[in-house]
Amino acid sequence: MTVRMGAIGRIVAGLLVLLAAAPPAEAMRIVSLAPSITETLFALGAGGEVVGVSTYCDYPAEAKAIDKVGTFLAPSTEVIVAKRPDLVIAVPSPANRAPVQALERVGLRVLVVDPDTVGGTEQSIAAIAAAIGREAQGRALWQRIAAAVAGVRARLEGVARRRTLVVVGHTPLVGAGRGVFLDELIEMGGGSNVAADAGGQWPHLSLEFVLAQAPEVIIDTSVGMEAEPQAAAFWAPFPTLPAVRDGRVYLYADFALLRPGPRLPEALETVARFIHPERFESRP
Amino acid sequence: MSVSTVDTVRYLTPRRFTGVAAALSLAAAVTVVATALIGPESIDLRAAVRGTSVDHVILFQIRLPRILLGLVVGGALGVAGAALQALLRNPLAEPHIIGVSGGAALGGVLTMLLVGRTPVTELSLQPLGSFAGALLATALLVRLGTLRGHLHPYTLLLAGVVCNAVAGALIMFLNSIADFYQAHGIIFWLMGSLATQSYALVGVVGLYVAGGLAVLGWQARTLNVLSLGDEEAWHLGVDVDRARRIAFAGSALLVGAVVAVSGMIGFVGLIVPHVARLLLGSDNRLLLPASFLAGGMALVWADTVARTALGATELPVGVITAMCGGPFFVWLLRRQAR
Repeated sequence: MTVRMGAIGRIVAGLLVLLAAAPPAEAMRIVSLAPSITETLFALGAGGEVVGVSTYCDYPAEAKAIDKVGTFLAPSTEVIVAKRPDLVIAVPSPANRAPVQALERVGLRVLVVDPDTVGGTEQSIAAIAAAIGREAQGRALWQRIAAAVAGVRARLEGVARRRTLVVVGHTPLVGAGRGVFLDELIEMGGGSNVAADAGGQWPHLSLEFVLAQAPEVIIDTSVGMEAEPQAAAFWAPFPTLPAVRDGRVYLYADFALLRPGPRLPEALETVARFIHPERFESRP
Repeated sequence: MSVSTVDTVRYLTPRRFTGVAAALSLAAAVTVVATALIGPESIDLRAAVRGTSVDHVILFQIRLPRILLGLVVGGALGVAGAALQALLRNPLAEPHIIGVSGGAALGGVLTMLLVGRTPVTELSLQPLGSFAGALLATALLVRLGTLRGHLHPYTLLLAGVVCNAVAGALIMFLNSIADFYQAHGIIFWLMGSLATQSYALVGVVGLYVAGGLAVLGWQARTLNVLSLGDEEAWHLGVDVDRARRIAFAGSALLVGAVVAVSGMIGFVGLIVPHVARLLLGSDNRLLLPASFLAGGMALVWADTVARTALGATELPVGVITAMCGGPFFVWLLRRQAR
């Protein structure tokens, strides 16, 4: 009797192994029109099913080898159609409306996700996972992200908020305003965003406003586009700014890390380290 | 170098009209077929006509509507340019230079910000808003260019340059108070593009353009008389003010409709009628239809370069028309001055 059970057990276990190892019914052909979407697809283990990406999709490194179908603002409808995709995933943008509508018109399945916030990132991971039949991986991915985020936040326990400004461009001077992903990173990272009340999501700031707000930390991501000495020289004439006085102006070139997506914990830790470096000096 | 003194005055006979119209129509048909076969993806023609393949979708739902839109938009710009050049007796007149496009763009941006941009407004309010902007700009220009009851083309031209600058400033102002996404949309729209649209949209724009063409076609003979000068026209029994108002309104309708759908595409309205006049003479009864067909072809070819040159990366077609049109125009000017 026990032998029989053992045999059945072995068969059942064998079947389970087979099921788990079996590839999904058929590999999909997916076109991604934004870097955050491409990152999400790779994080879900579907990188091999991506047959087209936007020009800006640079992460992970494998994504660079995938055929480009245009910028995410002006994708080439024709090149996308020729990829014969089962699914096209896009982010909403007024600039890509016409091409995205054209894709829908020709009968392609188009999923539009809006990962512009932390909440939006969770939703778009779930939506993408559902659309490609990887719900379980989607849930697991978000759990990993949430756990890592909680780890960073644990380090910031009881910290005093520092007045923080994130700058994305100098001419004009544009800051991260209320409601954008960077604003959430500042708040989660133990800062308070001085540009939150400047009006709009990407407010144009006057230097006067910045001087009056007296940020203690300035994270300047414009060095992605400008030369670093230039960016440093931009802030030097204002020693009355606490951030300049205390040497807390950080020039950060890897703006791509700060995009909403599976690298949310890394993005959060980067911002949090700038605002509260003292909390990251030793491993707990 | 006023238009009326162009020395290639040839009589327009029905035979000549038919000949030129047939030749240009044939060239336009060849353009449509040839450019439909060009694109970043190579397509299999036999598969394309079969009806269910990807090649079919690319040919008939992506390339063809875009090419037809290019014909309509380029044609409308060509005709509007030809009409304005005749109205102002100046070959420099062009919707973009004299501020009609600026007014249309301002009207379009205002519409976009006030009512938002949905598939429905794109077909209805957007062209109307741009038309209203173009019409108001034109009316203002005519008012500013009229001194003591006489229209002074040069004054109007200069006023147009100023109007254009002011419209540009107002658009920048609206752009800076619009939210990030809207601002982005405005910039991309202004850059001028013929992104693939539905046949429905091509049809609606075609209707507006047909209206403008009908008005100007009806006025073609009067335009001929007007280009002789106000006094001469008056002596020949033309109600100068009325005729001019009608022709300006027709041009505004053309410009408003195409700016609404494709943004600011420059130089087509300047160069196409200019070249057409050099080759065919300045009789507007021939010049207007010729400018329509030639303008359409010029823009379709420019757009073919825009969507093909860099593979998957599309260029704004306005970039191509300006890069080809600018040097060409300078060459033309210097050649004429010699």
